[in-house]
Amino acid sequence: MPAKLIVQGLSHHYPDEYTGESVHALDDINLEVEDGEFVSVVGPSGCGKSTLLNILAGLLPYREGSVTVDGNVIDGPGHDRGVVFQEHAILPWRTVARNIGHGLELQKVPKGERNRKVKEFIDLVGLEGFEDRYPHELSGGMKQRCAVARTLCADPVVMLMDEPFAAVDAQTRITLQEELIRISIATKKTILFITHAVDEAAFLADRCMVFSRRPGRLIATVDINIPRQDRNWNEMSSNSEFTRARDQILKLVRGEVSADEA
Amino acid sequence: MSIPRNIAMALYRRFGRQRLRRIALGSIPFIVLITLWYMNGIFHWLPPVFIPTIYSVFEAIFVLQEGCAGIVEIVALDNNCLMTTNIFSSLGRVVLAMLVGLPLGIGFGILAGMNRTVSKFLEPIGIFANSISGIAWVPLAIVWFGVGWMTTLFIMLNTIFWLMFFNAMLGVRGISRTYEQSVLTLGGSSWDVITQVYLPGAMPSIISGMRMSMGFGWRALIAAEMIGGDSGLGFMIFSSAEEYKVEEVFLGVLIISMIFLLTDRYLLMPLEKWTSNRWGLVWRPA
Repeated sequence: MPAKLIVQGLSHHYPDEYTGESVHALDDINLEVEDGEFVSVVGPSGCGKSTLLNILAGLLPYREGSVTVDGNVIDGPGHDRGVVFQEHAILPWRTVARNIGHGLELQKVPKGERNRKVKEFIDLVGLEGFEDRYPHELSGGMKQRCAVARTLCADPVVMLMDEPFAAVDAQTRITLQEELIRISIATKKTILFITHAVDEAAFLADRCMVFSRRPGRLIATVDINIPRQDRNWNEMSSNSEFTRARDQILKLVRGEVSADEA
Repeated sequence: MSIPRNIAMALYRRFGRQRLRRIALGSIPFIVLITLWYMNGIFHWLPPVFIPTIYSVFEAIFVLQEGCAGIVEIVALDNNCLMTTNIFSSLGRVVLAMLVGLPLGIGFGILAGMNRTVSKFLEPIGIFANSISGIAWVPLAIVWFGVGWMTTLFIMLNTIFWLMFFNAMLGVRGISRTYEQSVLTLGGSSWDVITQVYLPGAMPSIISGMRMSMGFGWRALIAAEMIGGDSGLGFMIFSSAEEYKVEEVFLGVLIISMIFLLTDRYLLMPLEKWTSNRWGLVWRPA
């Protein structure tokens, strides 16, 4: 079976807002994400990982290279690629339930079926009892649960996540990471997760792609061979595979080893 | 417990101590004014040609409504019911101007908020139009449309349209781009973004604009009716003054402020509060 997400020879330049000079953000990116795979993209800030996500989401037009999802060439945003943003993404004037059902509403799914699915995802992310609350009544962690449920409820082919846990406190982040593992097992979604946190990249993903400083290049791919159901933070500190992968990613990000040695 | 104390306790429970204090302090200037007015009726510091008695102002209602047969004539805007006919005439103009001005102003405002080219195109002319107070258009409007409802509508639209335009534009500009992007990635169209992100997102700003529109529009209307109108409260005040019926002028002014106060406090303010609470713009104690 062909990969769900295929990126070939993708490069991107954009004019700097102030100087007008051309900025080389991405350089010849090639990557594939298989069905049901959890891939993380990690790199120093300014490595173009957010540019990559915006292109994949269809929010940024690209000229060089090709991007296909489920065999379709990407041309603008679409509900086959759901995005979980860093923060401030769920609509403040909609309740939790109406935010989660928003994608289905836009796809004109009948109300009965919509309500059934919304309930299913509210249960999945543990927001029972908060259906009729508005976002400003929720904690930061609950808002991100709601955002994840909203994206999954629209049933995308690939879920793209743009540093979704960067704005929550450390304790909440750990919980949300473990929750995401559970959710990925339950839904079998294909996930591309962008982060600058090495721990997070190693903990969540089956495969971690490391980007270089600008222009963003894919310098290495690190496999993390830990079964999804074994991933929880209590076990990880003593898991040699996790520490190996994390240290390797960290060295790559900090540029201490060249890609060939790794 | 004494009866006044019981009443005080009931009021505390109903409004709360802070609020009651505010209401009490705020009403002192009014009480002073009314007392002075009342005393002028007794001591005649100023002759009734300048300051009519409270009673004669009250009486003016019946003078103006003289010959008014009842509800049917009031609703039919009969000229025998001068007071109510002029009230409804002014209110009708406000409603008409709002019906035309709100959608147009909001529509163009959202467009300008979304699109830099549109806003660069419309902003300078908007500032130009806004710098001229509504009333300054009256002479020109009379030349163009004559005396009557077209002139008053034109004056009000000049005020309402630009206020709504700027408020809707700024409202849309203040919306986080992420909301728009999230609706697009959920499979929404550009139209979905307008109706489900820009319009609700700009709503608090739009409601503030409506409040301001009502304030400035109402004032512009009264002024326009005085010179360029053939009915309405402004017209009524002006023609009463020409006949030295000061009590009718007083009555008209009171009605004007009362209508404004009521619509602002009981329609627009609650609406503004509701949107800002709902949108989570104001921190509320749990």
